[in-house]
Amino acid sequence: MDTAFIIETLVKIVVVLLVFSALAGFGTYFERKVLAFMQRRLGPMHVGPYGLLQIAADGIKLFTKEDIVPSGVVGPIFKIAPVITAATAFMAAAAIPFLPEFTIFGYTVHPIIADVNIGILYILGVMAIGLYGPLLGGMASNNKWSLISAARGAAIFISYEVVTGLALLVPLMIIGSLSLLDFNEYQAANGWMAFAHPMGFISFILFWIAAFAETGRTPFHLVANDHEVIDGFGTEYSGMRWGLFFIGEYANMFFISFVMAIVFLGGFGDGTVMGALGLLLKVAFFFFFFLWTRAAWPDVRPDQLMWLCWKVLMPLAVINVVVTGIVMMF
Amino acid sequence: MSLEQFTDRNVQQHYFKVDIEEYPQTGWDRFKQVVKRGLNGELFVGLWVVMREMIKFDIHTVQYPKEKLPIGPRYRAVHEMQRLFESGTERCIGCGLCEKICISDCIRMDTRIDENSRKEVTEYTINLGRCIFCGYCAEVCPELAIVHGPRYENTSEQREHFILFEDMLTPIDMAIKGEQKEYPGFGAVTPNEDARVKKTPLAY
Amino acid sequence: MSKVNITIDGKPIVCEEGEFILNVARANGIFIPAICYLTRCSPTLACRICLVEADGKQVYACNTKTKEGMNITTTTQNIQTERRAIMEVYDVNHPLQCGVCDQSGECELQNYTLELGVDSQSYSIADVERPIKDWGHLHYDPGLCIVCERCVTVCKDMIGDNSLKTVPRGSDAIAAKFKETMPKDAYAMWNKLNKSVIGLTSGEEMLDCTSCGECAAVCPVGALVDTDFIYTTNAWEQQKIPATCSHCSAGCQLNYEVKHTSVASNEEKIYRTSNEWNYVSLCGAGRYGYDFENRDVEKDETAFNAAVAAFEKADTIRFTSTISNEEALMLQKLKELKGYRLINEEARTFKTFLDNYAAVSGQQLYGGDLKKAHDANFVVSVGTALKSDNPNARYAFNNAIKMNKGAGIYFHPLKDPVIEGIGKGVFTAYHKPLREEAALYLLLDLFGDKEKLPSDVTAYLASFHTLKTITVEETVKEKVVEKVMVKKVNEETGEEEEVEEEKTTMVPKKVSKEVEVDENRLLELLDIDAQAWDDFLDKNLKKKDAFALIAGPDLYTHPNAKNLARLCALVEKYTDFELTMIPPLSNTLGVALICDLDSEAGDYSIGYNTKGDFVLSALGDGDLDMPAMNQQEGTLTSIEKRVNPTNAALPYGGYELGDIANALGLNAKYAIDYTAQLPVEAGFEARDFDSLPNRFENDGTEVRGYALNNVAVATGDEAVEKIDEALALEGENVIYAANPVRQFTAFTMKPHQLNEESGIYLSPAQLTAMGVAAGDTVRVKTAAGEQSLKVVEDNKIDGSVMCVTTFDPNIKTEELFGAYRFATASIHKEG
Repeated sequence: MDTAFIIETLVKIVVVLLVFSALAGFGTYFERKVLAFMQRRLGPMHVGPYGLLQIAADGIKLFTKEDIVPSGVVGPIFKIAPVITAATAFMAAAAIPFLPEFTIFGYTVHPIIADVNIGILYILGVMAIGLYGPLLGGMASNNKWSLISAARGAAIFISYEVVTGLALLVPLMIIGSLSLLDFNEYQAANGWMAFAHPMGFISFILFWIAAFAETGRTPFHLVANDHEVIDGFGTEYSGMRWGLFFIGEYANMFFISFVMAIVFLGGFGDGTVMGALGLLLKVAFFFFFFLWTRAAWPDVRPDQLMWLCWKVLMPLAVINVVVTGIVMMF
Repeated sequence: MSLEQFTDRNVQQHYFKVDIEEYPQTGWDRFKQVVKRGLNGELFVGLWVVMREMIKFDIHTVQYPKEKLPIGPRYRAVHEMQRLFESGTERCIGCGLCEKICISDCIRMDTRIDENSRKEVTEYTINLGRCIFCGYCAEVCPELAIVHGPRYENTSEQREHFILFEDMLTPIDMAIKGEQKEYPGFGAVTPNEDARVKKTPLAY
Repeated sequence: MSKVNITIDGKPIVCEEGEFILNVARANGIFIPAICYLTRCSPTLACRICLVEADGKQVYACNTKTKEGMNITTTTQNIQTERRAIMEVYDVNHPLQCGVCDQSGECELQNYTLELGVDSQSYSIADVERPIKDWGHLHYDPGLCIVCERCVTVCKDMIGDNSLKTVPRGSDAIAAKFKETMPKDAYAMWNKLNKSVIGLTSGEEMLDCTSCGECAAVCPVGALVDTDFIYTTNAWEQQKIPATCSHCSAGCQLNYEVKHTSVASNEEKIYRTSNEWNYVSLCGAGRYGYDFENRDVEKDETAFNAAVAAFEKADTIRFTSTISNEEALMLQKLKELKGYRLINEEARTFKTFLDNYAAVSGQQLYGGDLKKAHDANFVVSVGTALKSDNPNARYAFNNAIKMNKGAGIYFHPLKDPVIEGIGKGVFTAYHKPLREEAALYLLLDLFGDKEKLPSDVTAYLASFHTLKTITVEETVKEKVVEKVMVKKVNEETGEEEEVEEEKTTMVPKKVSKEVEVDENRLLELLDIDAQAWDDFLDKNLKKKDAFALIAGPDLYTHPNAKNLARLCALVEKYTDFELTMIPPLSNTLGVALICDLDSEAGDYSIGYNTKGDFVLSALGDGDLDMPAMNQQEGTLTSIEKRVNPTNAALPYGGYELGDIANALGLNAKYAIDYTAQLPVEAGFEARDFDSLPNRFENDGTEVRGYALNNVAVATGDEAVEKIDEALALEGENVIYAANPVRQFTAFTMKPHQLNEESGIYLSPAQLTAMGVAAGDTVRVKTAAGEQSLKVVEDNKIDGSVMCVTTFDPNIKTEELFGAYRFATASIHKEG
């Protein structure tokens, strides 16, 4: 293998890790600010100007807090669970083209770590493994709330994997490739998936709804719903271990926003600077929407969530796939 | 508000009942409800409301230690001992009425006869740890000497820190400079006091 | 007196004829407002607020006597108008700064102003300057004074000091318009009020009296206040602990008023004492001598163990009579258990005296009490310096003379200006010491039923009488008519001219007369001037029907005490006199009845509040601390033959006598467990302490503890000895063991307001005669011993007899005397 390629890849990995770890932190800041503004509050104000250094304060706090492993937990699993969450979140980032190609100092950079031809499958697969974090953490915690949370997490993930998969089938069938770059090129040529085809729009909506479940955000915030299960699988965690769960959650939100933007909303388009900015704007919108819904919407019950998945979304997705197939035949 | 209205205890209860629709029984009902609600845009109304508030940016937060809300004039916080405007001497005459009326028994004073044959208060304490801020002491004070001030932040490392007469007393230099405000709050004269005053049996 | 039926506000009432309406109403729970009247004193008629309508006529309830069939209405429209106007007048120029006034909360002016709903003022007058006066232990603020004259009245009628009077105020005249418009009584009352304030009779700056403080107690407003108490606390803050005064045998009911010491200290402190002044009057010791507690005592186990060991070792217990009945019973029980000898000389002599008395009278205790003395109209005191031995007996003596148009005879060697100050109704017989027998014989001679008296006594009495013819000069007034020239204005002409007029004048003229008189040698023995004596009896013996005799401690220690006791019994038996004996100390009577006292001490003694080899002391100077009387519960037996309960006003943290008794084999948790065990055969009742009340009814009935049963005893003969006429203490320097007023024992020395000095008290005349000055030290030498004493000037005594104080344990004055309270001494100035 080419040494330059290895170095380039390593650099990209480090950059992605750093950027998205930091973004997770900023994400919390933005979330608090946005929620506060929407509720006529100010949010963090005391640490630094407009509370900007709150992230640093939180970071310091998380890093320096005592790492408590409660008695009665299954030690190794308890310890590894947060790592799984964070690791799978970042692993999924390997197949995401964050930006179009650009040239710097005469060197062409591909802002994707691994342009594998089964990119979208890889992302789905790795994200599915992310289930293990909450599941193992919850089961190992020796805490009934954590256990309930783990069970809920497993049910939700498995259920909504179905919807995600079926919803993605439609663009896959239309484009005929699994690489996200191909998705981007197709849409650059034929218009955005969500708007070019009615079936694409339906699958975009389905995928979007499923994305809430996958990331465990309000209104599907059932795995760690404070008033029901305390902090769910995170209840027994403290310090940086809990922080890893947190980073994982926020990284997931960013990555799934990227996936949605690339698969359904045209990605970075023609690869110009405007296209790149467009991608970031789209990602930002999706991320903002996560916060927005949290401010506006209530949570649903687990049974309602299951009902929605199996009785509404899944049939819709199947019908959507069938209709797409029929449309493609003619 | 007229006195009649004020004393009318039969207050009209302006309640209204929320029209709660039937709970869906069958799966089809439930599906219809989802569709209805989904298409009704209730979710989007919610989104719109919070977005509107964010755009308006009408923030209601009071950044407490830096900003304080104005306090109601009848608020009953830590007591203050007033001085006479003219001479700057203490208004307290040591009559002990506050001590008598105090229902949590937290006021205590020592008095003695001074060189001018007047009653002098040598020690005066209010145990704010026991005080329930009922305001009776301020109400009963014949000299408008003890009033409830606006100082509601009474944290301290020691319980004893807020019980001394001197702490509550307006500092003498302030009183002489006339900086003491006649506190409009609890225990002080009301604005229409002149109209209420009646000739006492002592009038000469 | 006979009973009459009257109605007050429709309520039928049976009462004594001639009782004041106000007293009848009070006794029957009917409210008539009154400010100036004191139940046991004369009506002042200062406030006029007690107006009532009796048989259709407006009268004052305080000075109108009841008659058969009287119909009284306490309020009418007109009376209500008068009362309201009177209260308005009282509020004229009276400051409304009740906040700083000490009386606030128990002020009668406040009460009646509110009661009568005074909410506006119709009267006014320019005020005059009335400066505050400091009269020593009293503080007088004329600005607050409503001149009800209660202080003046109580001082005159009850105490007998006559120290206060009304003096001119010097104010403007009341505006003429008020005279026409005001209700009549209100105007009359205002007119009087407006002219006077209270001042001192002596006209001096400082009050010089027996300092009882009763005037401040009766003051309805805050005008008269104790200087020590003023502005220290408010009336309502103090907890009233009902108790019995333990300083002397009067056993007065009082309340210790208790509050925490200060902001900084939670320790209880007595701020003052208060009394039911309508029914009992305190002396200075009772009122101001409240802080004699044994302070800051903790349980000292070492001392306690030492005490128990000392008790095991001891064979004698010495004690004084300033202990409760319960403690006395503990000592008696310990004596029965361990065979201790109980030594209490003063109680033993009293007991012996009582026994000798009982052998003749047939009853264990004297028949009278001070209540009877109050109600008597002829009182006699023998063998006691009344004002210092028992102030309440003195009040009774004074009150009887003042209130019942009574008279009194005071037999005592010590000249007493205070007794003389009572007025014309009192005859002072200053006899030589040891001549007390003659006084009792004189009473028998004067008042005794000669038919019933033992014949030898009658014969002995007759032997003193001789008939003698003397020439007396009488003053007769003659009428003389003379003619004088007077200048006069002729009404017709308007000119002045001289007119002859007849004028009648009375001119005294001396006439000599030969009269046959009965000379009584008893008078000579008592150094009584026969002429003055006869005059006194002529004037004062009329219409007397209630007699009281007060016998005092001089008799108990007299060498012929046995004979005196028997004479007392004879006086009680064969005359109308009700006899009361003054027990020498607080609970001497109780101790005498409870304890079986010994005369000979053993080798090793425990001293309780007195000297001993191991000393238990409530004074705080002994080997083991004991609670003082204001720190313990218990009962005290008073001169009234009453067992009075007293309560602990202040906490006590140490060991008590009961703890020692328990350690020695007795078993009782509290001292008051012994109350029910007090000897029934001595007249006590088997009653629990908690069942003993301590209060007065509205009609003055004393509901305090219980009265002793006067147990009957077997009598012997009634033989009495003749007077040993040679027996009399003569000489220049006679000393008398007596304390100044307000001092009794070491317990009265402790309170900070009782600051009398110990030493030898000389009258101003004697000071000059002996050429010494107050403050000098003199060496006093008697047959029994000698002592150096400080000279104190005392204008409350007169003549040459000198008083040696006994209250101070630091000077051993008892060494100067034999048993008797008088002794002759040689006195030299030292240094």
